[in-house]
Amino acid sequence: MAIVITENLTKVYGEGETAVTALDHVNVAVQAGEFVAVMGPSGCGKSTLLHLVGGLDLPTAGRVVLDGNDLAALSDDRLTVLRRREIGFIFQFFNLIPILTAAENASLPLLLDGAKPGEARAHAQKWLERLGLGDRLGSRPDQLSGGQQQRVAIARALVTEPALVLADEPTGNVDTRAGEEIAGLLRQAVTDWKQTVLMVTHDPRIAAYADRIVFLKDGRVVEQAQLSEQQPANG
Amino acid sequence: MSVRYGLLGLLAQGLRHGYELHSAFVALAGGKDQWDVKPPQIYSTLARLQEGGLVAEVGVEQEGGPEKRILTITPAGRAELDAWFKTPVVGEHLRDELFVKLMLSLADGAPGGQTAREVIHVQREALYRDLHRVTARRQAADPRGELGQILLLDKMAMHLEADLRWLEMVEARLEEVQRQPRPQPEPRLRGRPKKQ
Repeated sequence: MAIVITENLTKVYGEGETAVTALDHVNVAVQAGEFVAVMGPSGCGKSTLLHLVGGLDLPTAGRVVLDGNDLAALSDDRLTVLRRREIGFIFQFFNLIPILTAAENASLPLLLDGAKPGEARAHAQKWLERLGLGDRLGSRPDQLSGGQQQRVAIARALVTEPALVLADEPTGNVDTRAGEEIAGLLRQAVTDWKQTVLMVTHDPRIAAYADRIVFLKDGRVVEQAQLSEQQPANG
Repeated sequence: MSVRYGLLGLLAQGLRHGYELHSAFVALAGGKDQWDVKPPQIYSTLARLQEGGLVAEVGVEQEGGPEKRILTITPAGRAELDAWFKTPVVGEHLRDELFVKLMLSLADGAPGGQTAREVIHVQREALYRDLHRVTARRQAADPRGELGQILLLDKMAMHLEADLRWLEMVEARLEEVQRQPRPQPEPRLRGRPKKQ
């Protein structure tokens, strides 16, 4: 089953002679339980693709179907709810809230969605423990290393058990070793915790953790590589 | 090649039979997935070492099963092993099949270097598959008992990454390379060299 499908997804910035086509009729599908990496030179459109899939930006043409929902057909309110429940975001610069602890940061998506504080905290704690941060629940971001901060961000992305995790250069701001750890945790999220991940990276070592790589150039899909032996299970 | 020196090294450690040497060599080189040396290659290498006087047969053992020839390293074998330890390993870095393939694929005249692009595509997918496998094995390895394995896998991952980055560089400059003249053989000198 496809979790996300893009159909002729196109994004043009600007108008007339200064128009820049960031994405040009991109057709990509990510299956449930699949780990897909998007690679390509800077300016190839990979971050634009992630933003459109995540409903953070609107396409010029074409559409995104996420878990059966055409994003363009949703009202702003429903899109906000869908983003909160069905998509987990992981960014290059973590985007944690500095005055909140690891547990508070990780429980935020559940609290925003109206969960009871105790329940939200229990879920956040479970994910932080899985990610090896069981002893840092009360630490604020400035008391954690870059790799640890990104692990809090992964916990925050996984805490709602979303249909799709979107990771934009998740290892771009940590050292090589922490980068491998983070990629390993995303791999584990797919293999052991049955999540689906779409990740943008420019690092071959990090992309190798994925099941499949989609290569973008000048806004188009120019190549794909299937890395894992098994195709993800259908349904 | 290092099967020869691997066997000499294992014999120096006191291993004695072809069968035992085969499994020990495979383990030493990182396992069957890494380097699946078949027993016949082990036996033929041992035979050559014996002919060269680096290994000697000192008896035959039979305990129910088939008979096993007992081998030992000779003083000449030890000297050869020591010399090997003191010599750098000569890699294949300067002899590159992929490079030759790329150059030939560029020369076939397909517009936009199409054939070369296909060569790059096929190679890239294969390299990424290898890197994916190495990464999975690296993740599964236990740093408390398998550090040797891990270091070998790291070496492989680093080489694969370098190859991938190099392919990217070649692809970016493909048309530029295609426009340049192909490498020509050096002109052959005829006749006797001129007197100075």
